[in-house]
Amino acid sequence: MARGLGNINKMDPAELKMLKTRIDIATAIMVTLIAVLVVRLWYLQIRKGTEYAQLSENNRTRIQYIAAPRGNVLDRNGNIIIANRPRFNVIWIREDAPHPDEVLKQLAKILKLDISVLLDRIRAGADHPRYLPTRLKEDIDWETLVAIENNAYRLPGVQVEVLPSRDYLYDEMASHLLGYLGEINQQELDASDDNTYMPGDLIGKGGIEKLFDRYLRGEKGASFVEVDVRGVVQKRLKTQEAVPGNDLQLTIDIGMQKAAEDAMADKAGAVVAMEVNTGRILVLTSLPALPLHEFSSGIPANVWQRLLSDPKTPLINKPIQGQYPPGSTYKIVTALAGLSEKVITPDTSFFCSGSINFGNRSYGCWKKGGHGSISLHRALAESCDVYFYQVAQKLGPDLLAHYAHSLGLGAKTGITLENEKAGNIPTTAWKLKRFKEPWQEGETLSVGIGQGFDLATPLQICRMTAAVANGGTLYRPQFIAAVKDSTGAFVSRFKPIVDGTSLGSPRTLQLIRDGLEGAVNEPHGTATAAKMENVIVAGKTGTAQVVRMAQYKATSASNVPYLYQDHAWFTCFAPFDKPQIAVTVLVEHGGHGGSAAAPVAKAVLSKYFEMYPPPPLPAAEAATAATPTLPVTTTPATPPTKPAAPPTATPSPTPSTKPSAKPMAKPPAKKKP
Amino acid sequence: MFRFDRRLLQNIDWAIIGGVLIVTLMALLNLYSATRLNDAVGLSAFFKQLYFNLMGFGLILLIVTIDYKVLIGLSYPLYIFGLLMLVAAMAFGQTVAGSQRWIGLGFFRLQPSEPAKLILVITLASYYYRKDTGKGFTLPELFVPIILTLVPFLLILKQPDLGTALMLLIIFASMTLFVKLRWSTFGILAGGALGALPVVWKLLKPYQRQRIEIFLNPESDPLGSGYHITQSKIAVGSGLKFGKGYLHGTQGQLDFLPERHTDFAFSVWAEEWGFFGSLVFLACYFFVLLWGLNIAVTARDKFGMLLAFGIVSLLFWQAFINLGMIMGLLPVVGVPLPLFSYGGSSLLTNLAGIGLLLNIRMRRFMVAA
Repeated sequence: MARGLGNINKMDPAELKMLKTRIDIATAIMVTLIAVLVVRLWYLQIRKGTEYAQLSENNRTRIQYIAAPRGNVLDRNGNIIIANRPRFNVIWIREDAPHPDEVLKQLAKILKLDISVLLDRIRAGADHPRYLPTRLKEDIDWETLVAIENNAYRLPGVQVEVLPSRDYLYDEMASHLLGYLGEINQQELDASDDNTYMPGDLIGKGGIEKLFDRYLRGEKGASFVEVDVRGVVQKRLKTQEAVPGNDLQLTIDIGMQKAAEDAMADKAGAVVAMEVNTGRILVLTSLPALPLHEFSSGIPANVWQRLLSDPKTPLINKPIQGQYPPGSTYKIVTALAGLSEKVITPDTSFFCSGSINFGNRSYGCWKKGGHGSISLHRALAESCDVYFYQVAQKLGPDLLAHYAHSLGLGAKTGITLENEKAGNIPTTAWKLKRFKEPWQEGETLSVGIGQGFDLATPLQICRMTAAVANGGTLYRPQFIAAVKDSTGAFVSRFKPIVDGTSLGSPRTLQLIRDGLEGAVNEPHGTATAAKMENVIVAGKTGTAQVVRMAQYKATSASNVPYLYQDHAWFTCFAPFDKPQIAVTVLVEHGGHGGSAAAPVAKAVLSKYFEMYPPPPLPAAEAATAATPTLPVTTTPATPPTKPAAPPTATPSPTPSTKPSAKPMAKPPAKKKP
Repeated sequence: MFRFDRRLLQNIDWAIIGGVLIVTLMALLNLYSATRLNDAVGLSAFFKQLYFNLMGFGLILLIVTIDYKVLIGLSYPLYIFGLLMLVAAMAFGQTVAGSQRWIGLGFFRLQPSEPAKLILVITLASYYYRKDTGKGFTLPELFVPIILTLVPFLLILKQPDLGTALMLLIIFASMTLFVKLRWSTFGILAGGALGALPVVWKLLKPYQRQRIEIFLNPESDPLGSGYHITQSKIAVGSGLKFGKGYLHGTQGQLDFLPERHTDFAFSVWAEEWGFFGSLVFLACYFFVLLWGLNIAVTARDKFGMLLAFGIVSLLFWQAFINLGMIMGLLPVVGVPLPLFSYGGSSLLTNLAGIGLLLNIRMRRFMVAA
């Protein structure tokens, strides 16, 4: 202060000059640095501007995908079988919850749960990072959802996640056909050549959900959104709406499907029904059903293990993957071949004493007492083995195979389901190639009655029956009635496909149909259990032999362990004079076809004719159906409904008919008997 | 001394007032854009800044009525007052984001390190004015200014607020170089500063060291601390020639830019107004500062010259460091852009500085009373 104010105006001119020079220097420095900033600004905004503009674009826009509603699956009458249903889960994000105790108390009240349940869940997820959600409650109902949303501001940290899920309105019905959804895996991602599929997507894992995934899934929509640095959406820029998936209308009749599955009850096996004049499949059942509700979020390992080890092999889609000896249903083939090759006429008769000797062995008829003198009609109706042994013997395996092939056996039917099996129709050449051994003539006898090397799927037998019924046309079995887009317009519609025509004249087929009619409607027929009041049914029973253990030979059927009991077949069509529908039933280890399988077919037919009433029966036919005239028989009548004794041993090595235990999603290893 | 001379009105420097007005209006415009979508700050920041501007211009009016030379006598009391505020912030200040920088005053959180910068300028200007012999300062003569600088420097470094603390050293260096130094003194000081670098490095907090390391190698941590620089460069660069339009700067609006209403306010401007808009801003801004140097040249006396030079260097270095940081030329050190960044303490301090410049300008032809 001493020097202070006194000399404040006195500035030495030299010093002033010097200071002014320094200010000039400072100005120069300042201008230089400003120039540096301007150049830098030019560099960032002009020189590299587009690069940064691009970066900023990526910085802020994200694509949010909008799930397309998956198409519904309907039955032929428009009943919805699979619908979509969003599932709402309550989740907890610890990071966002500053006051967990208060919030959880509130939440427990809303969920009507004890708070300890919630705490247990949270503790279970305590090791996860704080920002990862913990599920507190799955699949809450609408009211709970509303309650949570209304109280959202009081429940920081609590959120509701929405997961799309499939709603199976008929539970496990037609489970193998319908299939299920699961999260897409890497293989499936790699396999898709376009951008249809993305990680995290749900994709059909089996059945039509898989086969028709591209129709059902629709097209994802996308919303371009601006997000802030935390990913919080600020603004929607452009939205491309999702295109809902196509609805899939099946030819399946869910009422008949239910009738079939109800009639099967807890039995394992397959039921197939198809329209004989179109190939439309009305019923396609494989039992035991798959527990679809347990598959909703991937198949748990323990469930998978349980299904794999189940002796009833639920993982096999039996109508198309189960290969069984066709048993006596194959007599249709033998009859067709015999008549067509003229080794028999309708009047040719053989004598059945209950068995026949060939080589040094005796081949038995299922009816130990024998059928006596028997010709074609009764042989079919009463399923005389001895008759067909002799017809087969006259034909030989290769001619039999020729006719079998013409009825669609031994080859895939071409149904659009995965891993269909072809069955097996043996020929001499096949045997030589397969076993390096020549054909044994005794094997012809077994093959002639559908045992031995013969294998067929229930679908094949059904189509064969339909062909016999319709006069010889082999229709491709199809189960898609229509594919419709969300506006209801048809994307594609069912069209019958003819895959071939069977051998045999119309008259020959008529003779066979007559025999089948007798099996159901004549007192000694093997299939009287399928007889109906208002419709004339024609059908054929069959018994597929399973590995015959010597130790069970003498045991009565009911004492044989489940896995060694025979499979029961029944295949039929109706109405007899103007066939509309063919039904084939296979009951695994069910014993005799007449008792185990025929009632199931009858249940399916009843349901069908309940919905599509048949024309009234002609008087004469009605009389026949109501009070059948007894044909002359030389043997005592065996009540057909009583379980018949298993057929006697067949001479040839009988292959195991147990279908290979492979899941339906994976192709089982090719296995020829 | 407190009597207002009517002749002063004729000498009001409308150029600098106009320049500052334009800059502060741009600042308000920009602040609105930067904060309107920010839930945490919101529009209240805009109105606060508006009030501080009004208060600041009131402060300017107050300052110009009093001859700046009273500061020669008031410098030490002011200095002591400044230190007390810094100690108070340390003792019972509010901790925000890990730093204890603020004193709660009810309606307003005072950040004493801001006025401390201006107080140091005044103190050094007074000291150099009083002690200058015209023969150049020797090292013993610089002992007092060094202590005057180091005490607030250490207090602010302890908060910790590296950017503001460094500003004190830069102000000291600028003003000391402006007055005459003996070459030997300059050599010793420069050597001493270099020698102190490793010590300072050790004193730095890990995050401060990290920032410098990241500045030297920004690619090392693009999502961590390097994030600020990267996002700021993206914001500035993506502005292109004419910008994305007011309120349409995505980087700023969408929260990618950190501290976008305070230290990174200019990023928002550059993004929305582009290269040409930024040039307009820089032209206005540096016009004020260059005009400030002109005020120093034309000052009535040496104290006015020193004071004006100190104020301009205070504003300029902060601006340069801030803009350099925003453009990725300098490390992120948390220095606001004077008159532009949001913050009441900073705005009031800088407007007070502008008031002093006006004061010096108005009295350039006046003879001391």
